Amino acid sequence: MAPTMRPVDVTAPRESAPQTRETVFDIKDLKASYGSNVAVRSVDMEIYRNLVTAVIGPSGCGKSTFIRCLNRMNDEVPGFRQDGKILYHGIDLYGDGVDQIEVRRRIGMVFQRPNPFPKSIYDNVAWAPRILGLRKNLDERVEKALRGAALWDEVKDRLKKSALALSGGQQQRLCIARAIAIEPEVLLLDEPASALDPIATASIEELMHDLKTDYTLVIVTHNMQQAARVADRTAFFSLDVDESGRGAGTLVEYDDTGKLFTAPSDKRTEDYVTGRFG
Amino acid sequence: MAAVEPELTIDLRGDGRVRRRRLVNRLAEAIAILSAAAAVGLLVWVVWSVAERGADLISWSFLTSDLPIPFSPAVGGIAPLIIGSVILVGIAALIAVPIGVLIALFLEEFAGNWLRVPIQLAIDLMVGLPSVIIAVFIFSALVYGHAQNGLAGSLALSIVMLPLVTRATQEVLRLVPSSQREGALALGASRWRTVVGVILPASLGGILTGSVLAVARAFGETAPLLFVTGIFGRTVELNPHNAIPNMPVQIFIWSESPDPIDHKRAWATALVLMTLVLIMSLVARIALNWTRRNTTR
Amino acid sequence: MRVSFQEELDQLEASLQEEGSLVLRVLRGALNALEHRDVELADEVIAFDDDVDVLYLQIEAGIQSLLARQTPVATDLRLVLAMLHINLHLERMADYAVTIAKMTKLVADVEADPPLLQSLQEMGERAEEMIRVALDSFADRDLEQAESLVELDELIDRSNRRFVERVIELVAEPDVREWVLRMVLVSRTLERIGDHAVDIGEQVAYLLTAEFREFTDASHPEEHV
Repeated sequence: MAPTMRPVDVTAPRESAPQTRETVFDIKDLKASYGSNVAVRSVDMEIYRNLVTAVIGPSGCGKSTFIRCLNRMNDEVPGFRQDGKILYHGIDLYGDGVDQIEVRRRIGMVFQRPNPFPKSIYDNVAWAPRILGLRKNLDERVEKALRGAALWDEVKDRLKKSALALSGGQQQRLCIARAIAIEPEVLLLDEPASALDPIATASIEELMHDLKTDYTLVIVTHNMQQAARVADRTAFFSLDVDESGRGAGTLVEYDDTGKLFTAPSDKRTEDYVTGRFG
Repeated sequence: MAAVEPELTIDLRGDGRVRRRRLVNRLAEAIAILSAAAAVGLLVWVVWSVAERGADLISWSFLTSDLPIPFSPAVGGIAPLIIGSVILVGIAALIAVPIGVLIALFLEEFAGNWLRVPIQLAIDLMVGLPSVIIAVFIFSALVYGHAQNGLAGSLALSIVMLPLVTRATQEVLRLVPSSQREGALALGASRWRTVVGVILPASLGGILTGSVLAVARAFGETAPLLFVTGIFGRTVELNPHNAIPNMPVQIFIWSESPDPIDHKRAWATALVLMTLVLIMSLVARIALNWTRRNTTR
Repeated sequence: MRVSFQEELDQLEASLQEEGSLVLRVLRGALNALEHRDVELADEVIAFDDDVDVLYLQIEAGIQSLLARQTPVATDLRLVLAMLHINLHLERMADYAVTIAKMTKLVADVEADPPLLQSLQEMGERAEEMIRVALDSFADRDLEQAESLVELDELIDRSNRRFVERVIELVAEPDVREWVLRMVLVSRTLERIGDHAVDIGEQVAYLLTAEFREFTDASHPEEHV
């Protein structure tokens, strides 16, 4: 008869998730609205350094609005209003005296459709550093950024050619290079691979894995499997319809990705990730 | 057990309705082709008429000599007119193009709604402003009580050109996708850096095209110049403070003259003017295609 | 949504329960053959194991296909993993029944000792009950039922103790020594079947709680033979 054993907790995380996690964003009771339309409400979460944090959820649940609050891109939309606090290393992003340009220098963004400028590859990457006054060693900066985006080898012989001649996947990596050329701390990616074919998507996902060594990444994706593959932590947003029938996006569950996809705490999360409801 | 196959007859030839549809198609095509042919035909007819009547006098000396002395047998030339028109339109362009582009930039990139609507309206109205009205206005403001001068003429022309440049520029600016602006803003660029660094360079081709078209138009405007720089000398005049000879007004003057040689001179000048305008329009079109090829791929 | 996926899951579970019924039949056949020294029945049992193996492979292939095509997550994933393990445990149990049948054949001509046989049959009935409880707890997603398997396992232990006492008595007689040895193997085999039933219970608990625990016997924390 086998000796009885103590219970073994096999769900203890094996990988060395950094026990001391540094908070980059501390989001408190965030509410964002365009005019009278509330897009997102009651969001409380902390985003940690050098991790990939994914935001998933059905369409219309405010994922894009949320991520655009983090670098104040929503300021460009007339009628936008933000309540609650977003603390970036303790500083209120929307506080008095905070310059949105400074914010965007430190918190970069890559968009769904690659949007390279109609300039040469070199100029695309060098443009922002030039106008921000980082003119020293521009060539090295450009090369470093292109290497960081895993694009250098493919374009090093044609830096002066038009960026528009690149393939979709290459253009997106160029946009990433462009963003990291000014050495931000955070990279926000709004559905970065949804306009790309599977191979280009895989290269972007691989890149994200490398990028998180130096940057903090927040990615919005409607592809759950992608979130499962790349993210360390995942936040699930869903539409919350109140008594008046109006819906706003809200944070339902936020946890380590492994936990969220094997044993989610909230039934709504379970229903969403298992595909039982769209 | 063998399967029994039903008899299938598929007739892809079509019935009466199809035939009628085809007929209507052909008819519509024919009408469209005829209309296009008519328009092209008209243009060809005009060009041919002018060329036919004006070709006789065209020669190197005609293009390089001074204007003829009245009632003298020598044919003379239209060099002062060509140079004069170039000066007038050149100065007008120097005024209208920068201001027009700036207004367009302001309207598309910076203006809030409460400013944009009235300014846009003003620009649209300017397009429809009869050039003779502009002429009378400039005359009463700058020429009445003073002498005729080329600067006033250029000013009048620039008023004609301005809304054209602005509109064309606006169209091109709108063509720049907002994703470009977003991309630039997300990199920490200010609004005006975005405009100067990304949007303007992308629109240059279109702006050039619009400007060239406005210039082509200005070359042919007669009314604004009629009262303002309509009385001028026989030789090349380079000082814009004086009245400057120009082609459209001289064509008008010669066409009123009783002397048949003057009529010939008018046709010849008209041919030169028309050729100039056609060449510029062609250049504008080529510039536009070049831009399209470079910005969309 | 995902109706065909759900149907596939249900189909796999039904096959698993069918495999469970087959295992029960195989075990019952082996126990009967043992009791009546029925060699023909023993042969049938051994042949019947093939049916179980066929079903085992089918279910295994079905799970593989589902994992590749449907990327199940959360509860679905745990269900599929639980089914994968339960499939394996059931197949092993059938193999053990075959072992018992083979033993029966080997010593069919030897006179059996009734008390020893009796305690073996008791153990066999306990094992059968455990299999039923395990399968039911899975079908009903009943955590308590799954955990009760620990106590049932204890009952097998008790029967086993009586068995061991009798073995000690009999081992002195040289004529029956070989037979007794074979029967010891049968008892070990029946115990193992019980262990696999407990394992199935642990899988059910994992499915329901997302935690994998080896069931401890709370009432007897100390080690025992």
